[in-house]
Amino acid sequence: MIPEIGHIILITHLVLSFLGGVMPLMAIFTKRDSLVLPIKRLSLFLFTLISLSFLSLVYSFLVDDFSVAYVAQNSNTNLPDYFKLAATWGAHEGSLVLWILAMNAWLISFIFLTPSTDKRFLASVFSISCQVIFAFSLFTLFTSNPFERILPIPPLNGADLNPSLQDIAFTVHPPLLYFGYSGLLIPFAIAVSAMLFDIDTKKWAGYARPWALMSCSFLTLGIALGSWWAYYELGWGGWWFWDPVENAAFVPWLLSVALFHSLITSQNRGVFGKWSLLLSIFAFATSLLGTFLVRSGILTSVHAFALDPERGVFLLGILAFFIIGSLTLYSLKEFKFESNTYELSSKEFGFLLNNLLLVVLAISILFGTLFPLLYEAYTDGKQISVGAPYFEIILFPFALALGLLQGIALYLSWGQSKSFSFLPRVLIESISFFALILLLLFVLFDNLYLSSFATIFLASWIIVGTLQVNNNRNIGYWYFLKKRFAVTFAHVGMAILTLGVGIVTSYSLEKEIILSPKESFEFGDQVVRFESIEDKVGPNFLSKSAIISFENGKNTSEVITEKRTYSPSGQLTTEAGIKAELFKDLYVSMGDNLETEIWSFKVQIKPFIRWIWLGALLIAIGSFFSGVRQIRRT
Amino acid sequence: MKKTLDLIPLIIFLALILVLFTFLSGREDQLESVLVDKSFPEFSLTSLSDESSFKSKKDISELPALVNVWATWCIACRVEHPFLMKLKENSTIKIYGLNYKDDRIKALDLLERDGNPFEFSIYDFEGRLAIDLGVYGAPETFFIDKEGIVRERHVGVVDEKVWQEKFAQYLDD
Repeated sequence: MIPEIGHIILITHLVLSFLGGVMPLMAIFTKRDSLVLPIKRLSLFLFTLISLSFLSLVYSFLVDDFSVAYVAQNSNTNLPDYFKLAATWGAHEGSLVLWILAMNAWLISFIFLTPSTDKRFLASVFSISCQVIFAFSLFTLFTSNPFERILPIPPLNGADLNPSLQDIAFTVHPPLLYFGYSGLLIPFAIAVSAMLFDIDTKKWAGYARPWALMSCSFLTLGIALGSWWAYYELGWGGWWFWDPVENAAFVPWLLSVALFHSLITSQNRGVFGKWSLLLSIFAFATSLLGTFLVRSGILTSVHAFALDPERGVFLLGILAFFIIGSLTLYSLKEFKFESNTYELSSKEFGFLLNNLLLVVLAISILFGTLFPLLYEAYTDGKQISVGAPYFEIILFPFALALGLLQGIALYLSWGQSKSFSFLPRVLIESISFFALILLLLFVLFDNLYLSSFATIFLASWIIVGTLQVNNNRNIGYWYFLKKRFAVTFAHVGMAILTLGVGIVTSYSLEKEIILSPKESFEFGDQVVRFESIEDKVGPNFLSKSAIISFENGKNTSEVITEKRTYSPSGQLTTEAGIKAELFKDLYVSMGDNLETEIWSFKVQIKPFIRWIWLGALLIAIGSFFSGVRQIRRT
Repeated sequence: MKKTLDLIPLIIFLALILVLFTFLSGREDQLESVLVDKSFPEFSLTSLSDESSFKSKKDISELPALVNVWATWCIACRVEHPFLMKLKENSTIKIYGLNYKDDRIKALDLLERDGNPFEFSIYDFEGRLAIDLGVYGAPETFFIDKEGIVRERHVGVVDEKVWQEKFAQYLDD
């Protein structure tokens, strides 16, 4: 009964979102007051409906209703309750409902928090958002209905959630990403409305900015959690694989960063109006493109959902409709000439460079991701693999340029920067800071790698440049807390991330080794010992669990690595054993059982890897609070 | 002139959509037509483990069987690997590997480390057999029945669900 109710509610939501997508715009263009809808109430109603529909799906999971096909495919009676909840969005159908929920959540926040008195503008943003929400609801109901029943004989038990997904980080990673992706809907709807009603650049940029910032914040967290999950769950010890689907999230992230920087300029100076419009459109387009790539089955990847070309066509249709529509509008519009001028030394020019770098980087990564598909399509099935080397070569110069720019960016002034007298000081201090980090690394690891110098210097340069600006301007404590902490957090976060990446790439150690119990070997400054192995029973798995100890002088630590066999599916997973410290991770993953009690292991030392996620966390906090503050200001 | 400039984003985007669309529709036919219900193609390629030993169609002798296309550069294959190991242990069906455009040493290393679910693997560096099979990418799995006829084809990771839906039926009769 409950799934049917959820289904009916989803259909009601579809109908209402259609009305919401059409009527307000019709009311404006035909000037008929009878068509005007109460937008606030309607958005609240839509949000309630989609929440109820989502909850009924959650309920079906919690009570093990295996007559619902989606539940039967992704859950199991043995699955702990927490994972049953998470299984709701563990596969294609349910994640779409969550996606629609997220879009509605953004829309309702925008409608209630934007203090605009311009009724037409609000109605138009609402309407355009509703159109996208309608398209996704239609897609869900027609190609991916999560409430479909298996009748008359439902299975006794479900097939279980993919074991690698039964994990805390993984349960939170998709919702955060969906919120990040779908948040880009708001700047998109605002940009289209701005074009429709000729709204002043400064004004619309001010409305769009907080939502671009918050989407970016969610995307950052989502991507970072995914990276952390892959690191400990997949057992390879890597934290970024340049997997097509990772790139599909990285590209919108880059564009959202470019977007909110461009919006800052547009809001303050009234320049970059067209550029900000295009970025709003393309940031949203790439987030839809990512969805298309993952769910059409075009890409084969760890992340790929069920293969289904029909879904691909539908999603491509949605993408084409909205983006072609908005770009056509863009090409037809007469733009006013922007009168503000700026010098090469200005803040505007700094933002321009930042945007060019980010956008060209995003295009290169998108190209690298799509190229294998194109190559294959036009050479009759010949395959080519664009892997990490391409992306790393591309990324490095851009990261370098962006980092160098970031170090001085906060000193620049609008129009024209009067003086660059801060430069020698920042340079000297960052060189000292750089030397200090090298000293620390030498003390910790007894070694210095030339290959890490560039990134370490870059990190010092950004940190000093970011923190020094507060001294430079004699900024008081309160003023800092109120106005500067968000940007400081985000920029320092970027530096810490850079530092982590630089060090972990150069200083990591890795070894594959075969050990029998009580056997040990020397690894870096550690003595690694295979202590013992035992059988364990979990709620829905059996495991072989090995204890490995690391000894370094008087410090000993133990980690446990497991090979789990999940009972319903019989699938094997490896649980890495990790001893996480501030400056390094000790990482062991279990390989094969070669003879009784003799196992192969992969042992790794990963210096500074935590700093990557710590940096990402700071970026997310910074951009989130910056967004919140912007809402209150507009 | 200024107006033409404003058309550029639209044109670029249209080109992208067109490319994605041709790709999508191209794949549909390809996936359905190739080889299903036809006999497995002839081939002569070296074995992965031994450069001097040649394998051909008659070496895929124990039928019914699965032919699994894999490679070390294919991340999804690693996800699939444990399931193939499980099939090897729990099912009567034999699995033959087609190592696709790969590095011989890396491939052997991987099998040594993560286990070898295959009776043997064919080493297809140039993708010659893969072209005959119409392989779209790795992983990809073909089911060959007792008469040597390809009955089913799956693109992407084979897991319990796919196994039950697509392949298990052939073993029952």
